[in-house]
Amino acid sequence: MPKYLPIVMTLIIVGLAGYFVVSKKNEHKQIKKVSIQEEKTNTIGTFAKQKTCAIPPKFLKQMNIPQPVIIDLSQKRFKGIALHHGKEFKQTVHPKIWEQYEHFSTYTVDRKGNIYLVPTPFISILPTTFNLQKNLYKLDSNTGKISIFMHFDDVHPSANNPYGLNAIAYDCDDATLWVAAIDESDYASQKGAIYHIDLETKEILQKVEGFDVLSMTLLKSDKGKFLLVGSARDNGLYAYAIVKNRLEDKAVKLLELPNANEHIRKIKITAKNQLELQSIPFSYTLIAQSAKKDRMIYKVIWDNKLKKLIVSST
Amino acid sequence: MTKEIKLSIAIFITAAMTMALYWFIPTDDENSEMNVRKNTTSHIEEKVILPQYKNTIYQNVPSVKAYLSDLKELIKEGKSVLPLPSSELDADAQKVQELLLAHPEFLKDTKQEDTLLHNDMMRILPAIISSMDAKTQKICQTSSCYQAEKYNFVTNATTRAIVDVNDMKVLAIEQYANMQPDISLRLTRIAQDIALHAPEVKKELGFTPRKKDMTMANVRGSMKESPCENTTHLCVAPTFTDHKKEQALWAVVDLTELRFAAAKWAGLGKTTTPACISERSLQNRHIMKNYCQKDTVLEKDAWKITYRLTGSDGLEIRDVTFKGKKVLKSAKIVDWHVSYQQKGAKSLDTTTQTYIEGREVEYIRGENDTFMFGYNDAMGCPMFSTSVVLPFNGPQVKELNTSNGFMLTQDFRNPKWPMACNYRYENRFEFYDDGSFRVVGVNKGRGCGDTALYRPVMRIDMDIGTKETFWKMNQGTWQAKTQEFKEKVPNSKPYAYKITSSHAESKGYYIESNYGQFKDKSRGDNARIFVTKFAQKEGDQDLLTLGSCCKLEEEGVERYIDDTVSIEAEDLVVWYVPHVRNDAEKGREYCWADTFIGDEGNVEIKVWPCTVGPKFIPIKGEE
Repeated sequence: MPKYLPIVMTLIIVGLAGYFVVSKKNEHKQIKKVSIQEEKTNTIGTFAKQKTCAIPPKFLKQMNIPQPVIIDLSQKRFKGIALHHGKEFKQTVHPKIWEQYEHFSTYTVDRKGNIYLVPTPFISILPTTFNLQKNLYKLDSNTGKISIFMHFDDVHPSANNPYGLNAIAYDCDDATLWVAAIDESDYASQKGAIYHIDLETKEILQKVEGFDVLSMTLLKSDKGKFLLVGSARDNGLYAYAIVKNRLEDKAVKLLELPNANEHIRKIKITAKNQLELQSIPFSYTLIAQSAKKDRMIYKVIWDNKLKKLIVSST
Repeated sequence: MTKEIKLSIAIFITAAMTMALYWFIPTDDENSEMNVRKNTTSHIEEKVILPQYKNTIYQNVPSVKAYLSDLKELIKEGKSVLPLPSSELDADAQKVQELLLAHPEFLKDTKQEDTLLHNDMMRILPAIISSMDAKTQKICQTSSCYQAEKYNFVTNATTRAIVDVNDMKVLAIEQYANMQPDISLRLTRIAQDIALHAPEVKKELGFTPRKKDMTMANVRGSMKESPCENTTHLCVAPTFTDHKKEQALWAVVDLTELRFAAAKWAGLGKTTTPACISERSLQNRHIMKNYCQKDTVLEKDAWKITYRLTGSDGLEIRDVTFKGKKVLKSAKIVDWHVSYQQKGAKSLDTTTQTYIEGREVEYIRGENDTFMFGYNDAMGCPMFSTSVVLPFNGPQVKELNTSNGFMLTQDFRNPKWPMACNYRYENRFEFYDDGSFRVVGVNKGRGCGDTALYRPVMRIDMDIGTKETFWKMNQGTWQAKTQEFKEKVPNSKPYAYKITSSHAESKGYYIESNYGQFKDKSRGDNARIFVTKFAQKEGDQDLLTLGSCCKLEEEGVERYIDDTVSIEAEDLVVWYVPHVRNDAEKGREYCWADTFIGDEGNVEIKVWPCTVGPKFIPIKGEE
């Protein structure tokens, strides 16, 4: 027996070492799995509806127009912007001059009542259409006049992608604007940009490239501040973390809508841990996608137990 | 050192190396996990397959044939709900079906006036609690209840009934517009048969598939919600899974039209849920990748043709040769002007924009209290373009009915065609065995009314030589045109024009206008022709909308005409603009489409196309 002792001892040592290696590797795998899971599902945490700092445009008061007022950018009856008010919103403010910059797709309102508008190409392309997509517009709270607030030289719409600036959000924390453009993108690559703009100086504080945003809104949660963005390229809702007033480089995908053709055009925080998403078909063309029946509305609820956003159609 | 110690050292070294390998080399689990992650995040290379064959091939599939025959029989008998076969029902469900098929409220949407609409009973099963309201739930706690669902293929609506089987009493009936139920086993089998029969699927799989190869096809829930092009159609997606390659072929089947709609290869990760595929998105991606992002070269008979889809100028052919000789640099239809004439110009209010089906309408006042209204339709790529009329499927190559050549054709449609104010156009190029070719525009209606004037703007850039001459027949002799010009094309003159090399008059083409002689039921072109000196900016690249829809004296090309510019021995471009009036009068329909309910109770579409465009015939002796 002493003759075989070295072999027996070696086998015991090898056996113990083998057991240690196998169990350590499994443990390592588990840790990896858990971290991936967490990254996927627990990104924005719990959140609540925030009170906006925006106020109605002051010129409405001067015109004795009471609240509530609907801002109409549907481009169906009125080109540009129209404001509806009164009983059943049947009265309309729409001076002809509000048509001078053609069509708008969305807006945001600041704490002074100024409305910032982003353009959209609509059905027919005129010689002026592409240039109009390079501007951010402002409807002045005091005067009610629309003017070009900022011109973006680096935005280049074309026949292969007629869109320019296309999404906007006002940040009440620091009176800045978040604006997106998708002009540089083509079928093969996503080259959209998000600009962070100082309203006072019109300085571009940050430009993040590589994501085509179709809609955006700001959200605060127990995990911090986020810019939620709907993708123009797919059916996903994404979140950019905002740290020290700057966007992190990468957006994290939060959810996908059920249909691949749907793109999120509006994001609203409706209640505690609840979002409302409005989707449209979008393909970077001029095909009218504003018909009511083309729009889908989804309710999204943050399930704190599952650490997951649950999507349901309304 | 003893033999035993040597052996112990060898065991130890081998074990140490094995453990090191085990630690650093990923296991199968990890490999598959990494693959799945790769699939779910970066996507595997996607391949989209669109139908290449006529829908009618599926009508001979035995299960489809039997289904259509049953439908015909049913409608003949004055009924419109195809019942479930007894093999799909238990004894109680059979009684429920009998009761509901005689229940007026359950059947109330199965007729439109006197026309019977195709409905299928989809399933009858013990009632599910979530399908019932509180009152019904209470009854069903003590009684046996069944729920039945039927689907109306014409209105895309589902009707659900809850029946108390003990009392044989209908407790509730609900109708859901634009909702589709789980499909019957019979339809599941039909969907499988269509997918199995589709030549495109067989070709993709590389073998003739059998039912056992469809891993998910028997799970009805998994086959739902795979929207086809028309979201009001009932579509499902049987799937063929290749576990080894970790990919699956999803075949979308349209059960409303009983056809294969599209297919897609995709990974087995999260991206392959049926919700991620739809006929439209598959078509868009296929067309973008294959026809918008790159040129395709077609070599057929003695012809060599490069073609592509443009952003707003439809299908373009470029660098065309016949028997190795240059023929065309480019040909395309850059726009369709659509205009309508109406009375009431005096009361017309144009202070605000009008939109019809998403298009901005232009108004032009005319004489005698008339006005023209309409718009310009740009055709082009389905994504990243300024088009408003979309390509369906890719460009197709088909043999001509006359058996003396072939055509390259692209179908463009508004997604809601043939509903009012929606359009369908075909861009077609015909190539003949004798070296002739024809540039063809086909309008398939339906438009906004019966007073439409359609004007396709065709741009034809010949490649006869660097120096070309354009000739007009004048009182029996050919006269060379000297300056850029426009004029109305004379009707019924076989060859009113020819274009030749400036160096050899015998080398070139006669231009034969269409005045109804091409046996395609055309009523003629009534065209205007323009000849300009080639300029890169004048349409060699994509042209945005050209001119007014509704100024009938202008085609939009006028902006390129300068009658002081010489066209003698120059590189020339021919613009040709047919004028086509539609007709909706019964028996005389032209550029028109209509829908009706057919023998099987389903919506059918009848099209009366109008076909226009000139033919170019080689001048004999050019050899």
